[in-house]
Amino acid sequence: MRLDSVRELKSEWSQLFLTPAARRRVAHAMAFEAGRMQELPSAPTLALGVAPGSNGSDFRLAVRLQRRSAAAAIHLEELHERSRGEIDVRFVGRIRKRTWFTDRHRPIQMGISVGHFRITAGTLGAFVTGPRGRPRILSNNHVLADENRGAKGDAILQPGAIDGGLKRDRIGGLDRSVKLKPAGTNAIDAALATIDDGVETRIGVLRGTRAKAAGAAPEDTAIELVEKWGRTTGHTRGRVTAFELDNVVVGYEIGNLRFDGQIEIEAAGATPFSEGGDSGSLIMTAGEHLGVALLFAGSQTGGRRNLGLTYANPIAPVLKALGVALVA
Amino acid sequence: MKATLTQARAAKEKLLRKVATRTDVNGVGITRGQGGYGLKVNLSEDGGKRLPSDVDGVPVRVEVVGAITKRSPAPRRRSA
Repeated sequence: MRLDSVRELKSEWSQLFLTPAARRRVAHAMAFEAGRMQELPSAPTLALGVAPGSNGSDFRLAVRLQRRSAAAAIHLEELHERSRGEIDVRFVGRIRKRTWFTDRHRPIQMGISVGHFRITAGTLGAFVTGPRGRPRILSNNHVLADENRGAKGDAILQPGAIDGGLKRDRIGGLDRSVKLKPAGTNAIDAALATIDDGVETRIGVLRGTRAKAAGAAPEDTAIELVEKWGRTTGHTRGRVTAFELDNVVVGYEIGNLRFDGQIEIEAAGATPFSEGGDSGSLIMTAGEHLGVALLFAGSQTGGRRNLGLTYANPIAPVLKALGVALVA
Repeated sequence: MKATLTQARAAKEKLLRKVATRTDVNGVGITRGQGGYGLKVNLSEDGGKRLPSDVDGVPVRVEVVGAITKRSPAPRRRSA
């Protein structure tokens, strides 16, 4: 096709499928929730462009789809017909933003992507030691133990599966977890993983700063400003807005779970304090980097600038329940 | 009145009993301000139902926070 013909076709199909209303329609047809599309503005399911033709002087319409099911939703057959087959269709899978925090790292350190092999990804929160002295990884039950479904020894991947982690990216195995209770009240969403021989660690190192994690804050310390390093939003600062928060109902795959005694944090900057994937991050006092809480949940609204709120388990009961201490 | 932490804790227990049957309440906690301690009530939606502005002199702040979910990215991986 001539370049102007391809551009015309691209413009016409863009109107049909790439306007906000059309994207919702396509998303519905592809069985996504429309809300999820809004959460992922940088990852559309369909992209249109211009590709070089077969003889070097003509052009084709480039169609990039994230799922094969999208072909029916956008009437790909009709598009094929209209362009007399001069389209270049490729299924590219879901496109994700890669960052230092989602990459593979050896040695391993706080803040990077990690997860039980069946889950998407969470964050390597901190290194802890028990009575027998060998370091372990601290994160959430829903990150390391797949919401109670994991078995002792199950592979823990770094990075997590959604960030490309495969069997060969194993760094350790599920050790133990605090059971999540679908009925009754929870206080903690926490688990430990062992670290395989040969996997080196950079204990206490916090990306982008010379400061190091300095152990746990004394219980009942009055906390206001906090920091965390997490898989999705990286290094962020926040402000504690409430504590001893009871009756917090959190959505999990195994149901809606109630938590008591939680800490609530809002963003201190222009971006959210946390987003999906930051679960398991260790929340520390700003400046001193003393551990105060284990991040596990959040909302999309509320808090400063309506950037959402983050919920975390106070660290003292987490460490007590697992019988470990933060490695300073 | 500048509420102490002890007063805020007592007021929180009282408020929790009061809202025990309300499905729109998604958290009751304690806040710390320059004027002392207060209470914060989180709502999953603004259903227009009323809440007291204070409990025994401890101020109550209300915020609509929407749904709260675990902080894991979707979608879940289907196979090992």
